[in-house]
Formats: sequence, C-alpha cells, structure tokens
Amino acid sequence: MAGRFRPVGLVAASTALLLTTACGGASLGTGEDDQSGPLKIGLLVPQSGTYKSLGDDMKQGFELYVAQHGGKLGGREVEIVVADEGETADSGKAAAEKLVKQDRVLAVSGVVSSATINGVKDLFETGKVPLVGSNASPTTLTGTKYIWRTSYVNDEPGKALGKHVAERAGGPVFLIAAGYQAGKDEVEGFKSTFLPAGGKQAAEEVYTPFPGTKNFQPYLAQIEKSGAKAVFCFYAGGAAVDFVKQYRDFGLAGKIPLYAPGFLTEGGVLKGQGDAANGILTALNYSADLDNSANKQFAPAYTAAHGTAPTTYAMASWDAAQVLDKAIKAAGSTGSTVSSASVNAAIAQVGDIDSPRGTWRFNSGGTPVQPWYLREVKQGANTVSSELGRLGG
Amino acid sequence: MSGWLDGNFVSVIDGVAFGLLLFTIAVGLSLVFGMMDVLNLAHGTLYLAGAYVAYALSDGTLTGLLLALLAGALVGTMGGAALTFLTQPLARRGHLDQAVLTLGITFIVADLLSAAFGADVLPTDPPEVLRGTVGLLGHAYPVYRLVFIAVAAGLALLVYLVFERSSLGALVRATVADRDMVRALGVDIRKVLYGVFASGAALAAVGGVLGAPILGPGPGVDETVLVLSLVVVVVGGLGSVRGALAGALLIGQVQTLGVALLPEYAPFLLFGTMLLVLVVRPHGLVASAVRA
Repeated sequence: MAGRFRPVGLVAASTALLLTTACGGASLGTGEDDQSGPLKIGLLVPQSGTYKSLGDDMKQGFELYVAQHGGKLGGREVEIVVADEGETADSGKAAAEKLVKQDRVLAVSGVVSSATINGVKDLFETGKVPLVGSNASPTTLTGTKYIWRTSYVNDEPGKALGKHVAERAGGPVFLIAAGYQAGKDEVEGFKSTFLPAGGKQAAEEVYTPFPGTKNFQPYLAQIEKSGAKAVFCFYAGGAAVDFVKQYRDFGLAGKIPLYAPGFLTEGGVLKGQGDAANGILTALNYSADLDNSANKQFAPAYTAAHGTAPTTYAMASWDAAQVLDKAIKAAGSTGSTVSSASVNAAIAQVGDIDSPRGTWRFNSGGTPVQPWYLREVKQGANTVSSELGRLGG
Repeated sequence: MSGWLDGNFVSVIDGVAFGLLLFTIAVGLSLVFGMMDVLNLAHGTLYLAGAYVAYALSDGTLTGLLLALLAGALVGTMGGAALTFLTQPLARRGHLDQAVLTLGITFIVADLLSAAFGADVLPTDPPEVLRGTVGLLGHAYPVYRLVFIAVAAGLALLVYLVFERSSLGALVRATVADRDMVRALGVDIRKVLYGVFASGAALAAVGGVLGAPILGPGPGVDETVLVLSLVVVVVGGLGSVRGALAGALLIGQVQTLGVALLPEYAPFLLFGTMLLVLVVRPHGLVASAVRA
C-alpha cells in the first residue's frame, strides 16, 4: 500500500492518456483518371472533436453546390470521399494521406485547422494534387503551387477592421486575443492598419491562455480599468461564447463597443451567445444577408436544407466546389485526360468567381482578392452595415 | 491599499465563486479517489452531463432551475452508481486500469452527448430573476454569480458536515481505515462504496447544473473540468473535504486574482501553483485525516 499516492505521477499519466495519437498507413500510388466512373473528390473536414460543427458547415456547403449541379462538377459525375480531419495536425495528416494515396482522389477541399494545413503542405505539393482549402489559411503558408484557399488569410479580418476602428472609437482601444498563432496573426493584422490610421492602444495587448481560459472576469476587469473606448478581440468556438456572454454578464456590453474578426459571432457560436451578442461589430468576407445573385442561389437553399443561415465556412466551401467545377470543366475541354495536374493548372486560370460574397479572384499567393464587410449582430443575426473595402491584392 | 482592493475587488469575489464551483466538482473526485481508491477520469463527464441537463430544462424560471437540479442530481447518482459497478472488477488491478476504463467511458459518453446536443457550445442562461448585475463597491457583478456563491457555500457546508462531522461520515472513514473490521461489524462495504461514489458524482452533476451559465455545456468542457479538478485534488490533498475546499478556493483565486495581477504569467500560474504546493507540501494543503 505504501507509495500509492503519487499525485504527480497520477497527473502525468492522466495527461499522457488525454493525448491521443493517430498514425496513418497508406498504400502508395498516384492519382490517375481512368475516365470511367465518377471523379473522386476528397473532403478533409473534422467529423469529430472540437471543430466538428465547422466541419459540418463546410461539408454542407460543398455538398449543396454539388447537389445544385446534379451531382456533377465540370460536367462529370463526382464521388465525394469524406475523411475525418480530427482535432490535431497528426489526425489531419493521416486522413489526408488516406485521401491522396489510398483513395487516389483528383483533388481535395476542406481543412479547418492551420496546424493541419501546415502539416499536409508537402503531401499536396510533392504529390501534385490540388487542395482547394476553404478555411485554414495561416499567414505563414506561402510559396505553394497546389494549395489554394477560398477563405482568406488569417490576418485579413483584423486588417479590414483597423482603419475603421481607429476612426470611430473616439479614444484608446483595448486589444485582447486567444494566445495562439491565429490570435497573434489577427492582432498584428489589426495593428498594421489601426496604428497608421492614428489609433491608440489603451494598454499593451493581452493574450489569454489558449485553450483553457474559461473565466474572463480578470481580463474584463482590466478592460474596465484601462478606460478603453472600444475593444478589439479575437476568439472563436467555445471561447467566443464564454467571452461574449461574460462581457455582457459583467456589464461591459452596451458601454464599450466590441469589435472582432467575424468568427466571434459566426455559426454555432452565435446561437450559444444568444442575446449577449447583440450590438457586436465584426469584419468578415461574408454575411448571409448580402444582396447579390449568387447569394440568392446559395443562402435560401442552404437555409432550407439545414434550418440555419449559412456561415462563411459553408460559403467558402460552396465556392471551393465552384472553383473545382470550373477547373474540371476547363481541364476536360482541352481534350486531355482530366488529371490532378491539369485541374491544378486550370484553377490558376479560373478567373473571376461569381460568389455569394461578391466577385473575387485568386491572387498570385492562391488566396482571394475580395470585398470585406462590417457586420452588426441584430436580434441574433449578423447584418451587413457597410463595406470595408477590398483586401488580398 | 484601498486603491488596490478597489481595483481587484471584483476579481477576489469572482475567485470565490469560481473556487466554490471547483469545490462542488472536485470534492467528489477527491473523496472517491482518496477514500475509495477509485481513480475516476469520467468525473468531468458527470459535470458535462449536468450542464446539458441544465440546458435542456432551463426555461428562464426558478422552477426550471430547481427541476434541473433534481434531474441533475438523479443523473449524477445514476452515473456514479454505474461507474462504481464498472470499476469494481478493476479494484485490485490498480489505478492505470481504472484510468483507461474511465477515460474510455468519457470518450464514449462525450460522443453520445455530442450526437444528442450537437457540437456547439449551447446557451444556458440563469433564470430571468437572477440575470443582470448589481453594484459591488461601484463595480458591476452578475447577480447569478452572487447567488451561486451562496448556494455553493451551503453545499460545501453540507458536504463537510456529512463527511467529517456525522456518524455516516465516521462510518465512511472507518471503512477506509479498516475494511475488514467494519465488515466484521456487519456493515455492507459495497453500500458504503456505492454511497460515496454516487454522492460525489451527484455533486459533480449538480455543479454542472449550477455552473452551466458560467461554464456552459459543449465539447471539451469535460476535459477542462477534469484537468481543473485533478489540480484541485492534488493541491488540496486527497480524500478530505477541507482539503478539496482549500485547494478549490486557492485555485479559484489563482485563476482570477492571479491572472488580474500577473497577466503575463497567466499560462503558468495554474501549474506553477500546483508545482509550488507539491514542493512545499507533497501531500497537498490538507493531508487526509484517515490517510496521513
């Protein structure tokens, strides 16, 4: 019985058990199109874990486009092969290897996490299989030939918002973000346009421990003490719900305007925030109430199918399917066999995309040149209040 | 001094609220492990189940909250009984086997809850009469958290009286100290085991119901709660109600006042505190009366 109580060993063992690893074995082979049967398109999205709801949005957006086009992309029947990205770079990489090497898909879309897209970069580049990503897009991902993003680069929501907040805040602004790469990217992006426009910080920016911060009270007390006239924050997922609700609970909502990149109030988190989200101002490349012809084709159909307004994640995936639609069509019309390489070459030439967000096109880095919008939460829904200009050029 | 207190007053109060929430959750883990020698890594899942019960039954009225408390206690009791039943056969095989089994249970239950309630964090607001803020020395503080402090303090007192001051508590401690002797006196040891496990689990689930407006239900909350509970148990000392309370209140302050005063060290404060306590007092702040 002696020595049974070793709390350190206990915690270490428990922590080790909480860390699960995934290993991927896959057969070798390269993607070849045999011209018979449907084209295989891989969807790499989380089917489990923290990011599942994002993965669901992306899958639904992609599948909606395919369904709206008779199960075809570029006039060819497609078979969508879904692989579970999971929560970590390891699980994402294993799933991507399965899609590329075992299922031998023509192209892949999806990818929620920045860690995953960094981890699979070499797989797609050396395997010469196009990845039309519809979410993850870290600032560090550059110089790729086979990786495209229909979303936006991580620091762009902050960049889009900086000048506007500097002009409107009427005093110093408090900057607070989740302490990981995406949070730092956003804050740097914000400062890159906020400070040159004459904006002043109320204090040094604060990064809250990520993950794990559940109680934001001490940070909210700092904001109150700082005398800030506005707050710029970056949170997503569960932390976005906690932060917004506590911002209201501790009496800051309505007193100090809250600005943020769009995912603070995007999708499932908005439902979780309820009334607490009203009045929050966010920058994003999409809002479900945008008035244009592509959005009329997209938003009502999405809402009818899933009972909620589409998110930017669903929209970017709908666009990813549209990009592949056009690229496969172009690759097939040249008479050559539709292959991963010919589709990739066609993506580079795809030109203007008529999107629910407004018209956009790929820049040389493989990310969109697109319009940005200022949105305000009114009665539980994001509504566009003005345009913030185009970014990505 | 008044300036300092004024600036951090709300953080001190909130540290008490957060600490009492941690106590309500962690005391069950501490008692079950410290007294019954069962390592239950499914403890965070009991909190999560309680939080989902609160979500499902909260309708903006006090009656809804009371119903949720009853239902949460029931769900927790049943969960605790099921966990006792499942971990019994592993009693002689040590903590690692118990850890693997209970962790497996958390994964399964978390997936089931996620399938039933979706992958989003769900809105759980306190009853309407308890919403809004009150002024505390000129600072706004949520009414619900003040009420929570009162209720959780009452629960803490009740748990203390039952486990450390009543004859029932004496029976439990006697069972821990010498099973054979208690068995010889004609007491069914298994009933004691089930009782402690079920009441610890019920407390975690009730913590989930009360804590839902603070730590709302959603995927991942179970892990956060489990890790915080393990830290509280390690800091406070195993198997004692006073230890769990001391550990929880300390961690509550570290997580609020500590973060407010030393924001740049925030990521290290939690585990730094644990390390410091372990170096100074390897058995935790309050060593179990039975085990010491």
